[in-house]
Amino acid sequence: MKRIFDTQLIGPFAAMVIVALIVALTTERFLNPGNLSNLSLQVSIVALIAIGSTIVIFAAGIDLSSGSMVALLTMILAQMLKFVGIPLVLALPLILLMGGLLGLFIGLITAYGRIPSFITTLAALIAFRGLALTFNNGSPIFSLDPALEPIFYGKLFGVPMPFFYLVFFYVLAAFTMNFTKLGREIYAVGGNPSAAVLTGINVRKVQTTTFVIAGFMTAVGAILMSARLNSGSPNYGQTLELQAIAAAVVGGASLAGGRGNILATLMGAMTIVIVQNGLNLNAAPSSVQNIVLGLIILLAVGIDMWRAEISGLMGRMFGRPSSQQSSNVKKEA
Amino acid sequence: MTPATPLWEFVDITKAYPGVLANDKVCIRLMPGSIHGLLGENGCGKSTMIKTLSGVQQPDSGQILHNGKPVTISDPQAARELGVATVFQEFSIVPTLSVGENIFLGNMPRSRFGVIDWAKVHNEAARVLAEMNVDVSPETITGSLSVGEQQLVEIAKAVAMDARMIILDEPTAALGEDEIERLHQLLRNMRERGTAILYVSHRLDEVERIVDEVTILRNGCVVRASGETKINVSEIVSAMVGEDIGEHYPKEQNATKDIVLEAAGLATNSGVKDVSFSLHRGEVLGLGGVLGSGRTEIARALFGTDELTGGQITLNGKPVRFRREIDAIRAGLALVPENRKFDGLFFNFRASGNVTAASLGGLSRFGVLNLKAEEQATHDLIRDLEISTQAEEKTVNFLSGGNQQKIVIARWLFSASDILILDEPTQGIDIGAKIAVYKLINRLTREGKSIILISSDHDELLAMSDRIAVVQHGTIMRTVDASDLTHDDLVRASADTPQSKPKEAFA
Repeated sequence: MKRIFDTQLIGPFAAMVIVALIVALTTERFLNPGNLSNLSLQVSIVALIAIGSTIVIFAAGIDLSSGSMVALLTMILAQMLKFVGIPLVLALPLILLMGGLLGLFIGLITAYGRIPSFITTLAALIAFRGLALTFNNGSPIFSLDPALEPIFYGKLFGVPMPFFYLVFFYVLAAFTMNFTKLGREIYAVGGNPSAAVLTGINVRKVQTTTFVIAGFMTAVGAILMSARLNSGSPNYGQTLELQAIAAAVVGGASLAGGRGNILATLMGAMTIVIVQNGLNLNAAPSSVQNIVLGLIILLAVGIDMWRAEISGLMGRMFGRPSSQQSSNVKKEA
Repeated sequence: MTPATPLWEFVDITKAYPGVLANDKVCIRLMPGSIHGLLGENGCGKSTMIKTLSGVQQPDSGQILHNGKPVTISDPQAARELGVATVFQEFSIVPTLSVGENIFLGNMPRSRFGVIDWAKVHNEAARVLAEMNVDVSPETITGSLSVGEQQLVEIAKAVAMDARMIILDEPTAALGEDEIERLHQLLRNMRERGTAILYVSHRLDEVERIVDEVTILRNGCVVRASGETKINVSEIVSAMVGEDIGEHYPKEQNATKDIVLEAAGLATNSGVKDVSFSLHRGEVLGLGGVLGSGRTEIARALFGTDELTGGQITLNGKPVRFRREIDAIRAGLALVPENRKFDGLFFNFRASGNVTAASLGGLSRFGVLNLKAEEQATHDLIRDLEISTQAEEKTVNFLSGGNQQKIVIARWLFSASDILILDEPTQGIDIGAKIAVYKLINRLTREGKSIILISSDHDELLAMSDRIAVVQHGTIMRTVDASDLTHDDLVRASADTPQSKPKEAFA
């Protein structure tokens, strides 16, 4: 257990608590039960997608495609429910399958075509949005199925359903990353791909798998998005990929790969959503929200990059000398 | 013969890190026109000393005298202005820039209008290279040169700035025999011109060949300062380790008659041609040859990394075909790569993740890892191989080179491989750790495992191998008993290869 709840969680957890405290102290309505429940709804979609984004980052890749893929999948789901007449119980698994397949497609091109994931997923980001527009002449499709909404708004024992999805998928992801061969291989590939090759790890297969996971989690997010608004739209999910990556980064995942804790991504997502919620409650315009999100990402990466200096500074401030500074710099070189 | 004032004199230099006294009243005198060896095991305080000398850090106490006058070397720029150039173990050249640009990096000659004076860059660079007797055009892209040539470019930077003192940290770690000879010739020329040279190395055979005097550090203290010109390797070794270690190469004869692996006519697109040899159970087969002769490529061909375009590998009498590394690993092969940093270690893992990386399949059931077994096995291997116990808790980037190398070897002990290919297993690690690796080789062969040893350290190769295959141009010229070969034979047998560029690093 100490493996999962390790020191990597302290920073992101502290950040989340500090941000929550600041918002709670400055905004009266923040702690209203209604707002808190709303918060868990808000965080769910980005936090679920961020599981995939983070796992891709662990393997030293990047996934920019998730936001557009959400739009595409909501349109496909809407098309199936509204115009093709496929029942919901069949449509949902099909959407999950499609998400996985789109991820597989991106993964194969990236890993076997040896094209950097930044490029393949950037291409997908643009192409998926275009594909989404080919449905229903590019117009949103509304009122899909009355049974869809409870998936998002339903409650079990008084707790909103998305809370259970979060628990389920984060437990599964944490288990995979910390206790399975696949998780270990993902960290190994992200840590040192050429060493991974020489230890017999099938690096390309592992890289591809991370994109399949990302595609699947994006499909989960897309279903929730459709359920939330009972519709599909080619405009859904704008900048969602960036929020998901931001959640990973605020959670301390190293963009160089190989390092990070999946549970910290949940805290990263919470931090971001709490900030957005605080700004919302104070009626800040969306322009300000984007500026703040940008600053948070910068700060999170900055803290990661300047960790050695910061611990040195802390040491000087609190009289605890730090010896790791010089050795860190040398080893990173 | 001692000139009146040393060029540099370091008196009672002390530097402490939390919990470690890295340098304890170290004194070194550097004379112009003299090559001074700074020796000691890893962690003895050499690196700390070099950092102080090159202005990277400040000593806690002590005095630095330049031409007899006290000075402070406040930062690397100040060191440069005082004529001190440092060639660090990790190159600081930019591979995508030309040789000329690298030589003047950060110090580009400018014309009146502040624009870079390219004519001067190239002319000056060409002059420096000619002076050094290095046949490389200043316009060549540095990354396309061999490692040895890159090293020379690194030194050319020091020459270009008219350094009066040059510090070389492990300058030959990546060089082949004739490149080392070239470097040494260059250093002798510089010595003639009155440059003071501080030469830091683990390769004692080299030290014997080139240095004029030595300072030996142990646990941060000077244990031996010699002003003499005659240097005795075994004395140095015992001074460094702090005890009489007896046999430097504790070779055991464990070779048997059974053939475990047979290669016939192997060929690859990476330059391996018609390679045939056999490997016996318990044997150490050495591959001798210069850097770029194709030894590493032969290893890659055996391990399934490079595809065979011809030939046949036979394992225990059965023909095998390795389509990828995992096939070779499952068949009992192991590869400890030449560059443990780039191809061997996972710096994001502690010892455990590194040890089990090649055996995850065996360690898991239905894809779930047995973490308890992993911790236990790692714990045992750390104890067995005398690896720093820090490795259990910390990621391996905090470990010394010797400990890191032992962890890479531990990986293949854990995977229970029968045939280990060790590519430069003792490169850049200290004497104590080297001997530990030799003992490990003995233990493996005693257990009936076979080893293919690739080494550029001829003494090591001769002493630790049962037979040696001399590799040239990607093929094995001949295979002889190690006892029938002398150091000179090996140098001569492998040296008449024209310089070939090393294959591009692993993609």
